[in-house]
Amino acid sequence: MAEPRTAPEESAREEGLAFLEPRVHAEGFPVAQVFGYAGSIILTFGSFFLVTRHLMPPVVLLAVILTLAVGQAALQLGVFMHIRESRGPAWQIVPLGLAFFIALGLIGMSVWIMMFKAGVS
Amino acid sequence: MALPGWMLYLIHTLFPANTRRPTELGADVLIIATGAILFYILIIKGRWRHVWTEWITTVDHKKIAVLYLIGALAMLFRAGVDALMLRTQLALPHQGLLSALEYDQLFTTHGTIMIFFMAMPFIFALFNAVIPLQIGSRDVAFPRLNAMSFWLFAFGALLLNMSFVVGGSPSAGWTAYPPLSENVFLPGVGQNYYLMSLLIAGIGTTMTGINFVVTILRMRAPGMTLMKLPLFAWSALMTSALIIFAFPPLTVALSMTLIDRLFQSSFFTLGHGGMPMMYVNLFWLFGHPEVYIVVLPAFGIFSEVVATFSSKRLFGYEVMVASLVSIMFLAYGTWVHHFFTMGAGPAVNAFFGLSTMLIAIPTGVKIFNWIFTMWGGRIRMTVAMLYQMAFIPTFVIGGATGIILATVPVDYQFHNTYFLVAHFHNVLIGGTLFGLLSGMYYWWPKMFGMKLDEHQGKWAFWLFFLGFWVTFFPQYLLGLEGMQRRMNTYPFGLGWHMLNVISTIGAFGMGAAFLVLVYNVVWSLRHGERDVTGDAWDGRTLEWAIPSPAPEYNFARIPVVNDRDPWWAMKESGATLANSLSASDIHAIELPKSTPVPFLLGASFFLFGFGMVFSWWYVAILGLLCVIGTLIYSGFNYEEHAMLSADAIRGTEASLGRLQA
Amino acid sequence: MSLPLAEEETGLAPGLPLELADDRESIKITGFWMFLVTDVLIFASLFASYAVYRSRVALAPGPAQVFHYGPVLLETLLLLTSSFTVGLAIWAMRTGRTRMLFFWLAATLVLGAGFVTSEIHDFTSMVGQGLTWHQSAFLSAFYVLVGTHGAHVTFGIVWAVTLLFQVARRGITPVTARKLYTFSLYWHFLDIVWVFIFTFVYLGGKIG
Repeated sequence: MAEPRTAPEESAREEGLAFLEPRVHAEGFPVAQVFGYAGSIILTFGSFFLVTRHLMPPVVLLAVILTLAVGQAALQLGVFMHIRESRGPAWQIVPLGLAFFIALGLIGMSVWIMMFKAGVS
Repeated sequence: MALPGWMLYLIHTLFPANTRRPTELGADVLIIATGAILFYILIIKGRWRHVWTEWITTVDHKKIAVLYLIGALAMLFRAGVDALMLRTQLALPHQGLLSALEYDQLFTTHGTIMIFFMAMPFIFALFNAVIPLQIGSRDVAFPRLNAMSFWLFAFGALLLNMSFVVGGSPSAGWTAYPPLSENVFLPGVGQNYYLMSLLIAGIGTTMTGINFVVTILRMRAPGMTLMKLPLFAWSALMTSALIIFAFPPLTVALSMTLIDRLFQSSFFTLGHGGMPMMYVNLFWLFGHPEVYIVVLPAFGIFSEVVATFSSKRLFGYEVMVASLVSIMFLAYGTWVHHFFTMGAGPAVNAFFGLSTMLIAIPTGVKIFNWIFTMWGGRIRMTVAMLYQMAFIPTFVIGGATGIILATVPVDYQFHNTYFLVAHFHNVLIGGTLFGLLSGMYYWWPKMFGMKLDEHQGKWAFWLFFLGFWVTFFPQYLLGLEGMQRRMNTYPFGLGWHMLNVISTIGAFGMGAAFLVLVYNVVWSLRHGERDVTGDAWDGRTLEWAIPSPAPEYNFARIPVVNDRDPWWAMKESGATLANSLSASDIHAIELPKSTPVPFLLGASFFLFGFGMVFSWWYVAILGLLCVIGTLIYSGFNYEEHAMLSADAIRGTEASLGRLQA
Repeated sequence: MSLPLAEEETGLAPGLPLELADDRESIKITGFWMFLVTDVLIFASLFASYAVYRSRVALAPGPAQVFHYGPVLLETLLLLTSSFTVGLAIWAMRTGRTRMLFFWLAATLVLGAGFVTSEIHDFTSMVGQGLTWHQSAFLSAFYVLVGTHGAHVTFGIVWAVTLLFQVARRGITPVTARKLYTFSLYWHFLDIVWVFIFTFVYLGGKIG
């Protein structure tokens, strides 16, 4: 078995893209998974609780529960999907970050554009 | 004799009255003639086995490139004929050659085919032919997926093209805006054809985007960091990223229209709270990035061509890369400029007008860098270089008229006039098509092992270039005179007559250029100058370091790259790869195996699409089951690769004169 | 002189999990991330449509009258738990425990099937009340957004069943490990999409 031509860390640094250096999770007892599951349950049902209790004005409430949803997405990506694991630079971080940015722009801009008051309906 | 009921039903559904006109019957004759020729070659001459094993089941990126190129040129012919028919109809006022419906169908298929089935496959042909060689790789990241992309394109194109003679063409324009494209206004199968063929080809395109992003990120030769990547590869990376981000909104917009048409939902209908403008929003969310999807590869091609034929290093590499990246970003923030007149309000329009003008900055930077690359170089006027030289002024004028259109109040005047038509043909032909033809002449020796004849090529170029300006410059004036696009005829006395005649003459000049081009290709395949060195143009990048055409495995050994123009640097130090490998350097190579799965997947999707078009649910479900079955079969097939023995490689290298004695 | 030749790698890289250790298989994982990027944009377009069409209810009832929160909470719990079990399946795979892998993967499938059943039941009862997607743009956007997610889950179940057969036949190899790993990425991604559907569509409908 030959040695790999470049160690993963080297190639990420060679590109001058240190933030793409991969990090592989050690797998003992699945503590992270258990905490991730607990976290996702708490976040989801927490936002349900907030909505049913009408503790905040609607706009604030929507913002808060969407923030909780983003938090949970980050939790899934980090704990379960091991987003930083790769052989060589963890390239997926760049397009995935772009995708979330463009998705946000797509939804926000579409709502903004379609608020017009033209005759077509 | 009375035919049975089901047969009458089939005849009336598949061949309704609007497919029994002279143009369609002429097409029928052509199809039958082509079919007969194919039958003769495949069955009578017994070539079907060769075609099946070498071409249909292939997963080799170089052969897939040839298939894409054949498809693109065939589609260029079909959509070009559409354009000539349109221009003939418009040459004189009150012309009656085409009915309004026929005219609508022709401009719809002209636009759809030129964008989706000519420009896209032409780009993928060059990506496939060049990118793996340029980055020092043996194939793309996913060879089988690559073949699937091709067959989805091919069967999508087949579906759209057969609409002309089976069932009726789409006729709502290449953008297919609702409510016109809804069932209420266009009840036939034409729009279903449009939707299904674009959905099927769109899946293939998305997969190609994924394939090339991963290929370029993960398969570069050691030492080739991103800042040593050739610019064509950079443009391929940015194009593929644009495809990944832009095609999903199109898929969603088309699917929603399809569900509206076939299953009575209420997305874009006029009643039930539907909103047709949401389609326009989603369509241009794809449509604007698409403009850059087709033009960025041309930028990449010109960057390679100009450096090679000026015998100079490209001027301002870092800035060229930065402007590619910033164009890719800005391309997502400008889509509303396609529908300023929708009435979204001054804030929205001002925002998108400004973001559109911003794109002129990185594009201008690139223009200057190409000019500075030529400055002081030893320029060789080959056909590829001629297209590059023609591109610069043409694209600058196209870009400048684009800035005029980006000015919102002015756009309210010019929207949907011939000024707009002239503008986008100016950038799409002057940018994309000039670039693709330049790339075709430049990389032809690498793809086929012989040069295209330069003398004939220059004839084709001048006819095409002059024909282009004679066609489209009068259209700017027609737009200023107030002529609307998509009108099938016009009355006397509006002052449009002479300009339309000139424009039509120019269009036939471009048609003549296409014929010369085809003659050039056919002549050169037989008599063209063979390229025995592998380096036909005194090139700079890695693809010129290997034989033409490249052997099946591309590189017997993968090189380590230390320079931005590795092959040029090597030649500077007096080296050639030709005598460098000794027999002991060569080891066995694992190559992907041919498989019928991609072809079968395409055929299954075709069956599914055909069933959906005619709302024959059993056929559609059968097609879908075939798709799933093919995927499962493919999943259980673990024998994707085969070894090519070291001796076979040594034999090939020796026969190419690249092995040390 | 000529270009220096690269040492070409063979075999598995040390210090990496099985699915990443083989170069070719690890490239497929990168490719699958790119596929997920396209899927993010598909769902973003559907969410954008839903956001625009949310208030366009025509003469049909709006979000507040249409949604049933009992089944939705059950579906959320099922999907969150299945995301946990598929995480455990990957953990079992990486520690080389094939039987435990089978157990957690099967659990994931059962939970996923429960989710799909509940959703289909919910949709059919809505259609039974006359709430078809023909009624309003809001209902069209709702059914297509949530239905696309449901179709993804259904596809995932079929995929995982074929994976179970492959693992049973071949055990945990670099190829099967990569396939299971990409399946887990797909499944967690669907969980993320569901969290946004739950928050924006269902809870947003309650807020009004």
